[in-house]
Parts: sequence; structure tokens; C-alpha cells
Amino acid sequence: MSWILALVLMAPVLVMLISGIDSSQELFTHLWQTVLPTYISNTLLLSLLVVTFSLLFGVPAAAIISQTNVIGKKYLRWLLMLPLAMPAYLVAYLYTDLLDYAGPVQRFLRTSFGWESPLDYWFFDVRTLFGASIMIALVLFPYVYMLVRTAFECQDQHLIRASRSLGFSLSQSFIRVSLPLARPAIAVSASLVLMETLADFATVQYFAVNTLTTAIYDTWLEYGDLSTANAIASILMLFILFAVVAEQRARAGQRHQSNRLNNQIEAKRLTLFQQIIAVSFCWFLVVAGFLLPLLLLIVMAIDYATFEQLNELITSGLNSLQVAFYTASIATIIAILLALFKRLHFSTWRHYPIQISGFGYAIPGTVLAMAMLATLGPIDHWLNDLAKLFELKSPGLILSGSIFAIIFALVVRFAAIANGTIISGVDQIPASLDLAPASLGVKLKQSLLKVHLPLLKSSILVAWLLVFVEAMKELPAVLLLRPFNFETLSTQIYQLISDERLEQGALGALLIVLFGLLPIVYLNKKESNV
Amino acid sequence: MTVLLTLHQLSVALQQKPILSDVNLVLEAGDILGLVGPSGCGKTTLLNTIAGFVEQHKGSISIAPNMCIDAENIIAPEQRNIGMIFQDYALFPHLTVQKNIAFGLKDVNKLEQETRIETLLSLLKLTDLSERYPHQLSGGQQQRVAIARALAPQPKLLLLDEPFSNIDARLRNELMLELRSLLKQLNITAIFVTHNKDEVFSFADQIAVMHQGHVLQYGTPFDVFHQPCNWQVADFLQIGSWLPVIEVHEEYLTAIGSISLENKTIIKEDYSQQYLLLKPQHITLEPDAQANVLIEYVRITEHGFHYLVSSLTQDKSLSFNQLSFYSHLTFSQGEKIAIGIASHDYQLFNK
Repeated sequence: MSWILALVLMAPVLVMLISGIDSSQELFTHLWQTVLPTYISNTLLLSLLVVTFSLLFGVPAAAIISQTNVIGKKYLRWLLMLPLAMPAYLVAYLYTDLLDYAGPVQRFLRTSFGWESPLDYWFFDVRTLFGASIMIALVLFPYVYMLVRTAFECQDQHLIRASRSLGFSLSQSFIRVSLPLARPAIAVSASLVLMETLADFATVQYFAVNTLTTAIYDTWLEYGDLSTANAIASILMLFILFAVVAEQRARAGQRHQSNRLNNQIEAKRLTLFQQIIAVSFCWFLVVAGFLLPLLLLIVMAIDYATFEQLNELITSGLNSLQVAFYTASIATIIAILLALFKRLHFSTWRHYPIQISGFGYAIPGTVLAMAMLATLGPIDHWLNDLAKLFELKSPGLILSGSIFAIIFALVVRFAAIANGTIISGVDQIPASLDLAPASLGVKLKQSLLKVHLPLLKSSILVAWLLVFVEAMKELPAVLLLRPFNFETLSTQIYQLISDERLEQGALGALLIVLFGLLPIVYLNKKESNV
Repeated sequence: MTVLLTLHQLSVALQQKPILSDVNLVLEAGDILGLVGPSGCGKTTLLNTIAGFVEQHKGSISIAPNMCIDAENIIAPEQRNIGMIFQDYALFPHLTVQKNIAFGLKDVNKLEQETRIETLLSLLKLTDLSERYPHQLSGGQQQRVAIARALAPQPKLLLLDEPFSNIDARLRNELMLELRSLLKQLNITAIFVTHNKDEVFSFADQIAVMHQGHVLQYGTPFDVFHQPCNWQVADFLQIGSWLPVIEVHEEYLTAIGSISLENKTIIKEDYSQQYLLLKPQHITLEPDAQANVLIEYVRITEHGFHYLVSSLTQDKSLSFNQLSFYSHLTFSQGEKIAIGIASHDYQLFNK
């Protein structure tokens, strides 16, 4: 059963890869001679810049919060996680609105200095690859911040003391000991950021930066060329494979990390000047990545919200809720089954189903959408042919043309999140509890219901919540797979952003952000209770 | 001999809770001091205060020739030139054995660095392991690397926090003797913390017994063992068993016989009941007398049979549950026998 589930989840990607490899040599040559080098170089450059910026934002923030007595540490600790709730395309749109020629910042500068045209002054252009990198990094750096902060906080503080007793100051010890020891966590977070960057679609599309994800979208939706889209998706998969390998290698390096709980960190006392720098840096990230975009959205919502918008919002909101609810529920159930299989089965291969089912997280939404179309399309045609053969009414595109395809794609994409959360919950159940019920004459099924599931309650809730929010936010897969006239909050907002009319969707955007805050608030509350 | 370390009325409070109170100690150069006491008595805090990881709020620490640290003049750990070996060794997992040892040699020229590393690798039998990482070493090898790393910068004083607690019991004695002879060979002054009384007697030149943040007794292991200054010291060091006594007309009665008033040391404190500290070697078997104890527990040791007995007396003020002695004669559990007290320098404590 576990093997079947894992293989079903991975089948579309295999079909897509096979069809991508199968596409003609001519097609590849044509792509290579025309657009592919630009797409690839843009994708590489974007990835490099986003990872660099995320590290430049995230690692110092993690160091400041975990190693110093920065003022407001208690609040900054969780405020720095909030940008995760903000979709990058929203931030991109809001900053463009704020900073472009017609925006309030440049208007203010022109009024203040008496400039009349763009020729009178220089102002940086947000809508570039560089701008897109900063926008994406502003919402992805919390991955780096959270993982690296945890790594710093879990380090054995005796190592720092040993370094100090050998003649190094606290700051020197941080650079010589703490930072090198956090390297695996830095690498894991960088590869997560890389995967998310490769999956980004709306930000780069909005900034007209042609990357492999936008190419897939354009090739399929504008030219209807499924095999070319598949070919590009397969190339993107190669990049993803690189990120996955890097991440796995970094995780392997974590075994050198100490797991001892001697983590009473001696906070470095900052001087006034250092305090000013540290506080400004952290607040810059919180304001730029979350508070300012949120404020702009609230202002927009107050200025432009109408009753009609609310009506539209209810329809798309309900669709979003429906998709997110089914995705979260199915992904969580699958994760529970796979995690318990891994825990309770005796086979030496028991680890693989859950690992295989988690690969989807690395696959961008656009690629997954292609995979769904490549797999479900032929099945739909086959079903229609079958119906014709038996002289039944044609069922139409019941799989590829319904929300089934969306939910399937989202379950594949977010299974890893549910898996990871449930696995860590299962790992906390002592092994003796697997055996104790049997020694009391209770059968496995009863023991799962009476012992394991109640103990996993909190993990199940977190897993469900995390997948629910990610499914609410997911855009490219839904955009490519949605049935005719089916709008979710994210597709509606994307459409409005494309038409430069976000103010009409500000309420919906706020709703997405608020939903995004739920798991962060919950996890933060849980952490402070520990 | 020259004095290397002087602690004067050293007091430490953490979160307003006193951890160390008025600690006074003088340690001569080349001596090894063992800090012993029950868990939570402040041993590790004292070590960390000397190292500079915990700040004192009163008193001073003087390190020869001219370093004086007090609450107004705190010196950072990295400026104290004090080496430390941690309970978990705290080896840097990302560095090889050689790089771990070289870590503290930043101010030493390259040639001198190489010489010191080579000497220490050879002295601690680590030459073949120099390119390995800490996780590729056994517990004993890790301890040797930690020693080499701490000795490389040639510290004035070496602090060891329960250095043998992670070592297999069979290896422990061997390593203890090895480390002691190394410290003596290099004439290094050291303080080590342990809660194991056997370790302190095999390893230290001086011992300090701590209890609730105070140093109760400080002296050579021989003096402390033979003349414990109060019952906490005797109790912690498990010097003997406690036998309740009653004073009747200048004679002391116990459940296994009376003792004369001559040859006695009485440690008077403000407690109600008096006890005789009775070492196993001062218990005699009385085959012809009436049984006065019951064998509760028998164990075979290298010193013969080890017996734990309880008294048979009906007098509650004299009865006891656990008296320990050794004999080559075989008794069985539940058997009633007669024992007595050999004449010796009696030590009576009020507790």
C-alpha cells in the first residue's frame, strides 16, 4: 500500500521526464539555438542572486538573535519569521507600485527637488532580474534565518568555552567555531531557497524576466506546445536534482553536529553602536519583508474595497479553501500511513516509500502541472474512447480538466512537508510504545488508534496547517491546471497583478497573508511553551 | 614551593541565588587539587569562575605572578592563560586531531607550533591519529586529544571538569595514572572536579570537599581521610558506617558494645544525636558472644566477603540499618552473628 501510494505520487513526474526525453532532437536544437541559453542563464543568475541575498539577510539575523543581547530580541525572534507568510509576487507588485516612476517615492523626490523628468535624476529600476532577486530573497530569507538560528542554538557551548580558554574572544570564537559548525544548516537552507527560487513563477513573470518556469508557462498556455513545455520542464528538473543532491549532502554533514543540550549561550553584549546596527538590520528585514507590504495592502484594502469585490472574494476564497482543505487532508493522511509504515514495518526497504513521496517538494508547480497534463490527459482520452466503445456518454476531461488535477499536483508538491512533520512526531514516540500494547493483548489496529494517533495529534495538526497554507498560496500549478472559470484567491490576485489592478484584490491578498501567519503563530506559540 | 593560585573569600551568585560563599583556597605550583562534593555543591561553578566563564560578585582570584581578578576587575577567559578540559571534551568536530591541538597556538610562530604539536602527539600517543576527526576516535583517545589541546598553549593552570566520567570503568584507573604522571612530568598545576571519591584519592595531591557552596575541608587526601572535620565530609567520602551512641556515666553505649572514654575525638556540632564513625577494619567478629546483628546483604569482593548488617537491639535510640564490614568467613543472608568494636582512636560526630 505504501509503495503504491509513493509510486502514484511520483508517476506523473516519471511520465513527464519520459515524454521530455522522448521529444525530438530537432526541438532541442531549435530551443538551444533560440531561447534556451537566455532562459538558463537567467535562471542560474536569479538562483545565485536570491541564494546570496537570502544568506546575507538570514545568517547575520540568525547570529544576532542567537548570539547577542540585541534590544527587542524576544520580539524580533519571531517577527523575523513573518516574511514567510508573504507571497513574493505580492511583495514584488507592492514595491514596484511604491518605487516606480509614478509611485509615491519618486513623486515625493520629484516634488522635493524640483525634478521634472527621468532625465533629471537616476533611480534604480525594481523591475529587473536584480530587483526580482531582492524581492524573492526578502520573503525566502526566513528559511535561512530559522534553520541557522536553530543550528547556532543547538551547538554545544562547551566548544565556545574551549575556544575561549584557548585564547579567542567571543566574536573570534563565533567565526572560528560556531560558523563552521553551522555550515550544514547554511547549506540546507541555501538549497531550500534554491528550490523555492526555481519554483517561483509569478514574481519573474511580473518582472518580465524569462526563466525556465516562465518559459514552461508561455510555451504551454500561449503556444499550446506540450512536448516543448515538457522538454523545458525536464531541463529544470536537472537543476532541481542538483539542489536536492546538495541538500542531501549537507544533511549528511549534519552528523558532525553536536546534539548535546548544553546550549546556554553566553550572549555577546553589544556596544551602543553595535546595538544600533543590529537593531536597524533586523527591523529593516521585518519592515521590508512583512510590515511595509502588509501596510500597503491594508491601505489599498481600505481605499479600494467594495461590496462587489467581497462577493468575488467569497467565490474565489471558497475555491481556495476547498482546494487547500482537500490537499491538506489527503497529504496528511498519506503522510500518517507512510510514516507508520516506516516505523512499524520490518522490511529493510521500509524507508523508501516516504522518501520517494517527498521528492515532489523539489518540483516547481509549473513542472508538476506539465507532469499532470502529460499523465492525466492521455488517461482522460482513453476513458473517453472507452465510453465511446460502450456507447456511453463521454465523461470529458474528468481528471485533467477538474480540480482533481490541481489537488493531485498539490499533494505531490507538498507531501514532503506533511511527511517531515509527521515523521518528527513519530520519532518522538518511544519505541517501547510500539511493543507495550501488544504485551497487553491489544492488536496493532487498536494500538494505532489508542496510542500512536493520540500522541501524534499535535504533529497532525501542524502538518495539516502547513500544507493548507502552502496550498492556499500556490499559484503556478493552479494557474496551469484550473478548469475553465475556476478562480482561487492566488489566481485571482495574479490576474489582477498582471492587469496592474491589485488594489481590487487587496482584501484577498490580505486573506492569503493572514492564513500564512497561522502556522507561524502556532509554531511560535508551541516553541515558547517548550 | 611558590603559590600559583589564591582564592580569597570568593562568592558567586547566579540569578540572585548564592552558589559559592566565601571560598578560600591556596594552591601551590605543580600541585593537583581535587574538588569533591555531592551534585549541585558548586564544584563546577568554582571551576568556571576560575576559568572566567562565570563572574564572581565578591572576593578575588590571584594567579601568580601578578594577575588579580575581582568583581571590579574581571579578566576575560581568553586573557587568563588557563587551560580547560571539559567533561564532554568539547573537541571541535570540524577539525582534525592535529588542527584541534593547533587551535590555541595562534600567537606562536610556525616552527614552534610544529614542535609543540609533534611533542604532544608523541607524548600522548596520538601521532598515528593526527589526521582523524574526533568522531573517528574512542573515548580514551578523545580525552588524550583534549589534554593535548589544553596543554599546547602551555597554560599556567589546567582545569579538568569530571575528566574521567565518560570513560569505561576498566580504562579509568589506567588513564588516571597516565594523566597524573603526565601532569607531574610537565610540572603542571591542575584543579579537577569529580564526585567520585576513589578518583580524588588516586589523582590529587590536595583535596577540597565542598558542600552547598562552601569548602568544608581542604588538605591532603591522607589528612582528610583520617581526620574528617565534620560528618558531611566523612559521609560524602564514605569513610565508614554511622553507629548511634548514647553517653551513660562517662561511657558510650552502642548496639554492638560499649567504648571507653579514652582515645576519642569528638566533633561537636549543634545536632542532637551522637554517632560513632566506624571503619570496616575496626569491626571484630565475636564468635562466643550473643548475636547482636543480622546479615542483610552479602557481596563477594577482592577483600573477601562484604557484609551489610542491621542491629538486633530493641532500643530504638541505638538501632541501625546498615553497618558495613569485610570478612573472609562465610555467613549467609538472614544469619544472626555477634560483632564488636576494636579499640582505636574513636571519632564521634554529632549529626
